[in-house]
Amino acid sequence: MMKKRDLKSLYSWAGSIVASSTPKKTEKRAKREQSATSEVESLAQDSHQGSYEKEDGFTVPSDTAVALRMIHGQFPKIDKVSVPPFVLISQVYSIVKDRTLVDRELEVMKQDKDVRVFKLSTGQDDFAIMFFDDYVSQVNAIKSRLDGKHPSEDLVIFDWYINHILPIHMDAGITDFHLESILSGVGHQIQERHISLLIKAGLLVRQLAHERSYWLAIPNIGSLLKSLSQGRKELLSLLNRRQYKEVLLSILEKKKLRMSQLDMRFHVRDLLGSGQLFLSHTPAGILVRIPRD
Amino acid sequence: MWQMVGRRETGRLPPHKFRALLQKTRLYSIELAGHKEIASAHKSGVNSLQQIDATEARYLLSGAADGSVAVYDIEQATAYDHSTRTSKHEALFMVDKRVLNGHLYSVSCVHWYPIDTGIFVTGSFDNFVNVWDTNTTQVELQFNMSKKVYSLSMSTLATTHMLIATGTDDTRIRLCDIASGAFTHTLSGHRDSVWVVQWSTRSEWVLVSGGCDGAIRFWDIRRAGCYQILDQQCSQIGRRPPVLKKSSRTHGREDNLCTKYLNASSPIRQRGQKRSFGISAVDSRTAHYGSVAGLQMTADGLHMISAGTDSRLRLWDVESGCNTLVNYPSTYIRGNKGIQMAVTPDSSLVFTPSLNAILVYDVWSGHSYSSLRGHYDQVNCCAFHPQGQELYTGSNDRKILVWAPRRPIDIDNFDYEDAEQAIKADEDAWSD
Repeated sequence: MMKKRDLKSLYSWAGSIVASSTPKKTEKRAKREQSATSEVESLAQDSHQGSYEKEDGFTVPSDTAVALRMIHGQFPKIDKVSVPPFVLISQVYSIVKDRTLVDRELEVMKQDKDVRVFKLSTGQDDFAIMFFDDYVSQVNAIKSRLDGKHPSEDLVIFDWYINHILPIHMDAGITDFHLESILSGVGHQIQERHISLLIKAGLLVRQLAHERSYWLAIPNIGSLLKSLSQGRKELLSLLNRRQYKEVLLSILEKKKLRMSQLDMRFHVRDLLGSGQLFLSHTPAGILVRIPRD
Repeated sequence: MWQMVGRRETGRLPPHKFRALLQKTRLYSIELAGHKEIASAHKSGVNSLQQIDATEARYLLSGAADGSVAVYDIEQATAYDHSTRTSKHEALFMVDKRVLNGHLYSVSCVHWYPIDTGIFVTGSFDNFVNVWDTNTTQVELQFNMSKKVYSLSMSTLATTHMLIATGTDDTRIRLCDIASGAFTHTLSGHRDSVWVVQWSTRSEWVLVSGGCDGAIRFWDIRRAGCYQILDQQCSQIGRRPPVLKKSSRTHGREDNLCTKYLNASSPIRQRGQKRSFGISAVDSRTAHYGSVAGLQMTADGLHMISAGTDSRLRLWDVESGCNTLVNYPSTYIRGNKGIQMAVTPDSSLVFTPSLNAILVYDVWSGHSYSSLRGHYDQVNCCAFHPQGQELYTGSNDRKILVWAPRRPIDIDNFDYEDAEQAIKADEDAWSD
């Protein structure tokens, strides 16, 4: 049973992990540390979700929740596009060793409507996790951006999306049939122009394999997906060009990727989780290498 | 080990636990067998599939890509090599395209007749399913499926029927009857070719099939249409909780998660289980993002492991049709035909071929125990021998390898003359 004293030490440990990562400049480091520790402390507010122990009104957050918050706090700052931070599931796998536990706790968090999981088009196994509130605020931002250009009876689809479709439908994909049945269940009639408005906003993306079915998507994510795939390729080629296909992590962190807006730490965690990179501990520090087999 | 024997002697360890512990330690130490070797009779071919017969567990059947089929006796060796102390097992016979009505192209699946080893069935890419008589090594019956045969299966529990289920390039699954020589059933519902078919180990009427469209369908052959489609989105945390509420209170944390999930999410479970009036023809639920490459039921028939070309293994609870969300990391499964996995009879370990190695996972937690490396090319199939606790694997490098638990050095057959010679050579004149 964890006491209050241990919870404080848990938060300070999580904060120290955030702080001990190696950002490049000191003034940016102070700012990032502040935002990260505030993220970690927000664990106290919503730690009753996604947790499995209750004691004195304080609940211990699950491993996956702590890892999600930590990586969320370390999302790189991107100018030009306004996308709220998301976490790739391979990054969570690189932190929490037991993958079955991650899958199960993530399922519980999905049911509790803490997070939303999206399938990305960059690969067969790429899933992005975003906090539910962030996603809802993003949808509202899009609605206000399209406000002047479309009649209001069309814009009501965004409200229906947030209030009816998102809470009920937990999957990453949805079909026309499901959309119609969910909305007719609450008395609304969905039409073609509503669906085309959602596609234009970037919230639905057509599935190539099946007719009339769509993937739920994060809006404005196109450039980030390009950065993601190009950054991965660049990092792997950087390692492949070397003679022994390995490099010290401290040297790697200082490099900047030319083709990606996301930082090095994001890509390293992602490739670690998907099994394309391995870490080994050496007397000279942590070594990142590409496995030979 | 001796401590375990001592505890058994004093009665602190019950006999069934002693046996289970011993079996478990042996299983987890599986490696390339030094004492046994199978001399593969296949020439320029790929070992497609193997099957150890259910009755005597003595004969191994293998099919290769040049259309040849061979049978090996894995108990009795044909030759014994004293220098390396390995027993060599050569093929008892081999049939190929030179036999009348033999297969012309690659043999994709082989199966012993479940009752005895007098008959075996093979399916091949030359569109034919052949039923062979083992003693005369001739083709007795031939079924012409008009497309490539990817997989076939016969039910080991069947007492009333002798049906061969075949999965072909066609979207329909056809059941062939040995007794009448005709096709009895045609099961349609898949939207692309069917790569794997398996009969259930719980009921003789239930057939499971996995297709290139990524769907896994359950068919009851007494009714029309499939009664269940597995959906990867429909999931449950761990095993299902017990039915009685009072017994669920004594279970641990994991089942608390499970009951919590069940209370909150009944709409999703209902969507995943349309038991009432059949399933619509356009049902597009998939079990895998790619094609289904392998299916393996556990021995008790309550769970099933499926492998897909999205390089994922999933564990399904058969009764509820839900994905139990066990994550088996770092598999690599690609290709244009099925693979064959093996599960130990007590359902503790699953062996999966993945590129040049066989990966060993714990079924319930997804923990990866080891990867067995020994083949030079892609591994296609595994078969587990329950009594000897041995694993037989076949691959594109034309070899069948045997993997067995580590053996202690055989002291009885220790060669004393060699040892004496070694000692004599060591004696030198430097002492006194």
